[in-house]
Amino acid sequence: MARPSVRVFHKLEGLFSIYKPPGVHWKLVRDTIETNLLKGINAAPPPAPRQRVQFLAESTSVVAEGSNELTLSAASVPALAHHPLVSGPDFQHIGVGVGHRLDVFSSGVLVLGVGQSNKALTDLYRSHVTRDYTLEGELGMATDNFSHTGRLIERTTYDHITRDKLERVLAMMQGSNQKALLTYSKVDMSTQGAYELAVKGELRPDGKSPPIMTGLRLLHFQPPHFTLEVQCLNETQRYLCRILHEVGLELRSTAVCKGVRRTRDGPFTIQHALTHQHWTSPDVIQAIRQYRSSRKASKAKHTQPGKDTGTTDHLC
Amino acid sequence: MKSVCGCHIEARFVNITHNHNSNTHRLRNTCKHNWGRSVPLASSSTGGTAHTAGGSEQNCYRVEMSLAYLRLCTQHRLALGARGYATHTSDRRSREQKDEGPVFQYVGKQSKPNHKVFVWGFSYTGALGIPSFVVPDSGRKKPRKYQLTPYRLETEQQISSAACGYGFTLLSSSTKDLTKVWGMGLNRDSQLGFQRTQQDRYKSYDYVLEPSPVPLPLARPQQTRVLQVACGRAHSLVLTDSEGVFSLGNNAYGQCGRKMVEDEVYSASHIIHKMEGFDSPVTQVVCGQDHSLFLTETGKVYACGWGADGQTGLGHHNMCARPVAVGGDLAGVRVQQVTTYGDCSMAVSQDGQLYGWGNSEYLQLSSVTEATQINSPRLLPFEGVGKVTQVACGGTQVAILNERGKVFVWGYGILGKGPNLSESQTPELVPPTLFGRSEFNPAVTVSRIHCGLNHFAAVTDRGELFVWGKNVRGCLGIGKKEDQYFPWRVTVPGHVVDVACGVDHMVALVKSVI
Repeated sequence: MARPSVRVFHKLEGLFSIYKPPGVHWKLVRDTIETNLLKGINAAPPPAPRQRVQFLAESTSVVAEGSNELTLSAASVPALAHHPLVSGPDFQHIGVGVGHRLDVFSSGVLVLGVGQSNKALTDLYRSHVTRDYTLEGELGMATDNFSHTGRLIERTTYDHITRDKLERVLAMMQGSNQKALLTYSKVDMSTQGAYELAVKGELRPDGKSPPIMTGLRLLHFQPPHFTLEVQCLNETQRYLCRILHEVGLELRSTAVCKGVRRTRDGPFTIQHALTHQHWTSPDVIQAIRQYRSSRKASKAKHTQPGKDTGTTDHLC
Repeated sequence: MKSVCGCHIEARFVNITHNHNSNTHRLRNTCKHNWGRSVPLASSSTGGTAHTAGGSEQNCYRVEMSLAYLRLCTQHRLALGARGYATHTSDRRSREQKDEGPVFQYVGKQSKPNHKVFVWGFSYTGALGIPSFVVPDSGRKKPRKYQLTPYRLETEQQISSAACGYGFTLLSSSTKDLTKVWGMGLNRDSQLGFQRTQQDRYKSYDYVLEPSPVPLPLARPQQTRVLQVACGRAHSLVLTDSEGVFSLGNNAYGQCGRKMVEDEVYSASHIIHKMEGFDSPVTQVVCGQDHSLFLTETGKVYACGWGADGQTGLGHHNMCARPVAVGGDLAGVRVQQVTTYGDCSMAVSQDGQLYGWGNSEYLQLSSVTEATQINSPRLLPFEGVGKVTQVACGGTQVAILNERGKVFVWGYGILGKGPNLSESQTPELVPPTLFGRSEFNPAVTVSRIHCGLNHFAAVTDRGELFVWGKNVRGCLGIGKKEDQYFPWRVTVPGHVVDVACGVDHMVALVKSVI
């Protein structure tokens, strides 16, 4: 018979996503979540203690004078060995794993898994999912770490930059990234199979590859500020800031990154990411349930026409 | 003060005072870019606390003085140009601590993109125009037989039209200067004109390794502009705006449009023939292997040259030594484009219909005939291809582009749909996802298609170049010598405007992105 805390723990075993705010290290976030989940688990009321029979000695006034008999009376007392005040809380540590990490400067969707779901987490990342980011950039500055918090290296003019020129530069970068996608896929290009995959757009690198952007789009342009949407694989956030710097260089100016925000990590989108107020166990349990039901729905939708997408369907 | 990266700028900056010690540090870290150097504009006046009212004029004056001493590296051409004054930078004081320091201007507001030419393929004929590939200029270098990726060719003028023949290239510019056409490559039949040797003024070079001027006998050389050039196996055509068409090179089959002379020696020949016999000005010229096609303003097609496969479309299989109007199904049709490169010719009319004639051994015209040649144009009615806007014909294959930007291919050889499709009688659509269309870019379409002898080239509206086909001596430019069975991007630094395909080399006219 499982204790209530163990039942709560089993409900918590799953994958969920949270919204990591900028300026905080991912480890702090993970530790905070672990603490909150432990609070939730240990807040479950302990089961009623087992009763055991203890023989208590009679009080002296009842014993007759001069007799050597030991008279005992039975009493039912609670067994205190498993009382939380005696043995401590049930759970002192739970394994909370983090998916693809976000550095201090960035914010956005961060996928976490609890307990047994950490295995599903590694499967998720081995299946090479793509991630979506929104990058805020500012023209006219170049810094040493490619973001606006760094030391200023150079300032340039940007009045020659129009939306059309920026889109041309992005088209060129996207072209070279799409070529890299085909080149690193390690498929023999002289086979019919390679042609079929290329037509479907599924010619992708399977193993290690340098960061590749599978999609790049300009969302908003108001000089000096602009916003890009990027879909990429195998990237780091610092690489994305560097991309913005290179966009600035291609435009014969300079640019820095003012914000990196991950809007999607594999199947987890920003709509369902938990914000700071909701980093508690009931919200996490609900998020896990919601994710599971949405996966079942999408699996049913994909298997209905009779074909399998085969990307991340083996997750929990 | 020299920049540490070695770009040899000597610039004196204004306001190197105690306030701006940090400036020098910043300047040391600049110029990491290798595409140009700049002059810093006048620093903002917040830093110049020591300078009062007249300070800003003084600053401008000092910048002008320092600009006079500026010595730019010769390799880097900049938009600094004629503007020697410093513009007052607009107010950017929203940044708190970054107010002091110079603001660099690399490109002005009115800057235009640069036009460049890139070449790749087999270089030993000299067709790439880079002499150091054939004759290395330093003892340590080795000759480069195949240039497998695009290589920049420096030209004096902006090139507006290029054509690749069988081992030679012609480049033309629409300038009013005296030199309008340059040629390089094989010149055994004087297809590049008479290229006088240094030693003997009666001998002409057989191989021209560098773009050399082609001496056109223009009546008004300072007013006529060259519109287009075309190259065949051993002859070339030059189209001008007011003086008609000039033909040079081999005339053994009448492809130059002049009377054939028995035992004529074509090497070291000075003959450049001005063609006559057209009813209206010519708007397009194309060269097949040994025949020539001309399209006039009225939409009529003229042909001359070798006709054994019926490629002249004149109703017979003989040679023709002067341009004659083509009839058949094209009689009364206004044609908008003609194309040929081997022995098969095709034309597109203004209303999007496709006509073909010539060799059909490779199923190019098998949709209308079982014969291996047609000597008179026939309409090729294809369903499902929409309104045809462009057609390109190679040695054994044909490609068409419709108004939606979709590419259809048929014929024999590597058609672009994987190794399994090696021949087709009817047009097969090449999936648009291979040209870069995806959910991020749903509107990418192909804007131009060209055919070499055994390969295809397509230019999209985003300025990307895709090639596929047989990789004859590295002509695809994809960095490897293997054949390419489906469209593959060629990495060209810039926006591709146009491309010319030859047998074993290609030329691309590219515009810089900014």
